[in-house]
Amino acid sequence: MNTFWSRLYSWADERVKLGGLVEYMGKKYVPVNRHSIWYYFGGVSLFLFIIQVVTGILLLLYYKSGELLAFESIQFIMAKVRFGWLIRSLHSWTANLFVLTAMIHMFSVFFGKAYRKPREITWITGMVMFFLALGFGFSGYLLPWNELAFFATKVGTDIAGAVPIVGKPMMVFLRGGEDVTGATLSRFFGFHVALLPGIFTVFLGIHLLLVQRQGMSEPLSHGDSPDTERKTMPFFPNFLLRDMLFWLMVLNLLAILAVFFPWELGKKADAFASAPAGIKPEWYFLFMFQTLKYIPGKILFIDGEVLGILVFGLAGFLWLMVPFWDRKSSRGETNRLINYVGIFVVFYMIILTIVGWIV
Amino acid sequence: MTSEVGPNGEQETRRGFLRYLLGGGLVASLAAVLYPIMAYLKPPQQAEVEVTSVKAGKVSAMEKESGIIVRFGNKPVILVRNAAGEFRAFSATCTHLDCTVQFRKDMGLIWCACHNGRYDLNGRNVAGPPPRPLDEYRVIIQGEDISISKKA
Amino acid sequence: MNRTTRIMFGLLMLAFSSAGFAGADDKCLTCHESIGGKAVDLFKRDVHHAKGISCAGCHGGNAQSDDMEKAMDPKAGYIGVPKGDDISRVCAKCHGDSGRMKQYSSHLPTNQIENLRASVHGKLSTNGKERIVQCTTCHDAHGIVPVKNPGSPVYPLNIVKKCTQCHANAALMRTYNPSLPVDQLDKYRTSVHGMRNAKGDAKVAECASCHGSHDILSVKDTKSSVYPTNIPSTCAHCHSKAEYMKEYKIPTDQFDKFSRSVHGVALLQKHDLGAPACNSCHGNHAATPPGVQSVSKVCGTCHALNADLFSSSPHKKAFDDRKLPECETCHGNHEIIVATNKLLGVTSEAVCSRCHNESQNVKGFATAKAMRGLIDSLESREKRAIALVNEAEQKGMEISEAKYKLRDAHQARLESRTMVHSFNEARFQDVVNKGIVVSASVSEEATQALDEYVFRRVGLGLATLAITVLAISLYVYIRRLERHQAMGGK
Repeated sequence: MNTFWSRLYSWADERVKLGGLVEYMGKKYVPVNRHSIWYYFGGVSLFLFIIQVVTGILLLLYYKSGELLAFESIQFIMAKVRFGWLIRSLHSWTANLFVLTAMIHMFSVFFGKAYRKPREITWITGMVMFFLALGFGFSGYLLPWNELAFFATKVGTDIAGAVPIVGKPMMVFLRGGEDVTGATLSRFFGFHVALLPGIFTVFLGIHLLLVQRQGMSEPLSHGDSPDTERKTMPFFPNFLLRDMLFWLMVLNLLAILAVFFPWELGKKADAFASAPAGIKPEWYFLFMFQTLKYIPGKILFIDGEVLGILVFGLAGFLWLMVPFWDRKSSRGETNRLINYVGIFVVFYMIILTIVGWIV
Repeated sequence: MTSEVGPNGEQETRRGFLRYLLGGGLVASLAAVLYPIMAYLKPPQQAEVEVTSVKAGKVSAMEKESGIIVRFGNKPVILVRNAAGEFRAFSATCTHLDCTVQFRKDMGLIWCACHNGRYDLNGRNVAGPPPRPLDEYRVIIQGEDISISKKA
Repeated sequence: MNRTTRIMFGLLMLAFSSAGFAGADDKCLTCHESIGGKAVDLFKRDVHHAKGISCAGCHGGNAQSDDMEKAMDPKAGYIGVPKGDDISRVCAKCHGDSGRMKQYSSHLPTNQIENLRASVHGKLSTNGKERIVQCTTCHDAHGIVPVKNPGSPVYPLNIVKKCTQCHANAALMRTYNPSLPVDQLDKYRTSVHGMRNAKGDAKVAECASCHGSHDILSVKDTKSSVYPTNIPSTCAHCHSKAEYMKEYKIPTDQFDKFSRSVHGVALLQKHDLGAPACNSCHGNHAATPPGVQSVSKVCGTCHALNADLFSSSPHKKAFDDRKLPECETCHGNHEIIVATNKLLGVTSEAVCSRCHNESQNVKGFATAKAMRGLIDSLESREKRAIALVNEAEQKGMEISEAKYKLRDAHQARLESRTMVHSFNEARFQDVVNKGIVVSASVSEEATQALDEYVFRRVGLGLATLAITVLAISLYVYIRRLERHQAMGGK
């Protein structure tokens, strides 16, 4: 067995000079501290994304796009294709878990201020991927063409259309027309399986490359301890194996979820039916949706909804740009403000999500 | 590799056992992942998803004041062409006790043979036991082709 | 004078005084008698006159005065000949006043005028000035006698003529409601009620018996006594009274039986207007509904397919030869219960066994037995399929397509129930087989779904086992690796 691998290695080495790469990789170390646990979430997010790609491609083999057959093809996958129920439920569950782990990853980076110099671009690419992930969620949600998704898309694109100036053309672009129709489904399908994956892969590549080049960031407090006391572990094989362990547990969790909590399909979308009561978006949009509900109709001369959208837009932009306005962290100083902002955001999101769910 | 404290043999067996467990576990887990994927790739018996839109025929094939029953997935649908030449399609399942209705040119309406239920050409129940009108389906004319699609 | 003489004298005086009483207080009558006129003759026979009411009782004025001017003085209340709605108002003056009625020891109701005004006859006439009907329209003006008096125009034997005075007049009825028929009388005379009424039986139903007298409402009005859901109790008014019906020697349990029947439950409890009331089978005014030969053949009007099948079956000739009514023989007439499988076959409960047994009508016996076996088999298979599908659905398995197919089994069962009436085993078997095939395929699909349910959980268990073994051994491996690294130095 050993000779097989060593022979394979030398064959490759003779052609692409693996030596340098191997040496480099062998020297990678991961800091070991009490915050190390958070380091795994990036990897788990990656693992979940891989699962999405694999299950997504498998679904593509049986999914039929277009309002005539989309719903029925999912029914077909759930009922007739062997393990189709598993692939589909995995895909739906993983989508949600992916957003969740991405959020955890994002917040752990935020609180650890790992976005500070020299990792600003890593943060930016990560944030872009996060927004893309939300786009994946929004576009994928419509693909079964069921009642809930139809109306959730209607409401969601309506909100997008409320953005001043660019809103209306953006909405028409998203919908493929004035209303949510089969044209919307076609577009969303294109976005979901081609456009978004393509863009995502580019940013993922940059993100991973940067992480490999720069290594793991350490929390600021740890910068104080002398080098010798800083514990590390080699990336290969220690951290990687630990990563694998995590991935295995996540995989098992997904399987359990898929079997015991299969994803629902609901009723086929009917454009002429009235919206059922209690339409709400997926949980990761819920806090924004609920906030918009609480804003009064008009504030001074501005439409309440528009104001809400603009505020969220601004907040998102500021969040994206945090490496550039958090000067203190770049200098290596503790920045309590960041912590407070982060805690506020986390609590706000959690509470509003819960409220949106119960109400 | 430095040796553990303890007899070499014990260490070797433990290591060997662990290797087996690791290898076995890896193979089993891979199988647990790959088997469903392989089975999934194999096409099911019913190779394709059911249609929900059916080509009901040609416009020229249907005279005015006539009706035909078309199979729509698992349900019967009655396609009628009225005196004005317009096409309408309804569920052919009688709303009384689920018998299949038919078009009667002599009566100029849709009739159910089981208990004499009658529907007008708008699907509304006008006589006999049926308590509700017939559900309507969508008729799409593309050139010469008539297609029936799920409820209007 | 001795005692007897005194009594005789007293009585004589009383006789004269009462005669004089009548004459003394009704000077109108005295005068108009000399003039003559039908009204006077009629009024002499009038029940009001007998009760001591003078002409002024209705016309107003002073009945005591000889003087025409004083007697017919408007200041004395004289109103002349009342016209239009005034007529009914005059009648209501007393007949709507219960105190008044008690004075004359009358037990007549006092709500006639209210009922009349709310009824269909209380609507505005086409001349726009008065209601369609006044009291005198039916009761006449001057010769009014009690309803029970054979001389009354509303006496059961006479009332038919009274109603048809308007209701048989096509030109008149057209101005009110062109859709109303005007041939009720002709039809009525063909019925048992009509024929007996013509012969002088005052007990049978006539117009007012069913439609009411003052409170006549349109058939479409839910409060009308002839609204479909009310008709059974209207008929039962006479037909359920054993004492009343004694001389006619027909049963009086039809209403009870009907109430228990499928038709009765549908009409009376579920208010399904598609269900038949008494008149649907027995006719409204005529003896049978239009186009129906006899009541024994009426079922086919609604149950068309069953009737067709029966007519082309061997039973048609057999029943006609034995003069047996077609549907009623097996299903009953009033107490038609839900036809279950028990009706078919050769058991004691089955109707077939009445004529068919091992030694009599053997071919039919075999057919009945076979058909029962087939339909029982279909029913049990369908039940099983439904149970399996429900179980699979309960467990969360995708089973909507199989559920769709179940409808075909249901349809086959319904069709077979109708096909029984062909009494042809081959045709019956065809229909039943359709259902059996579908049920089998549905059961199979459902069983597969249930197996899949188990398979998923077992599969998950195995996969979890594999992954857990791998995870634990990996963990141990990592531990070991790190221990080696720590000891082996960095």
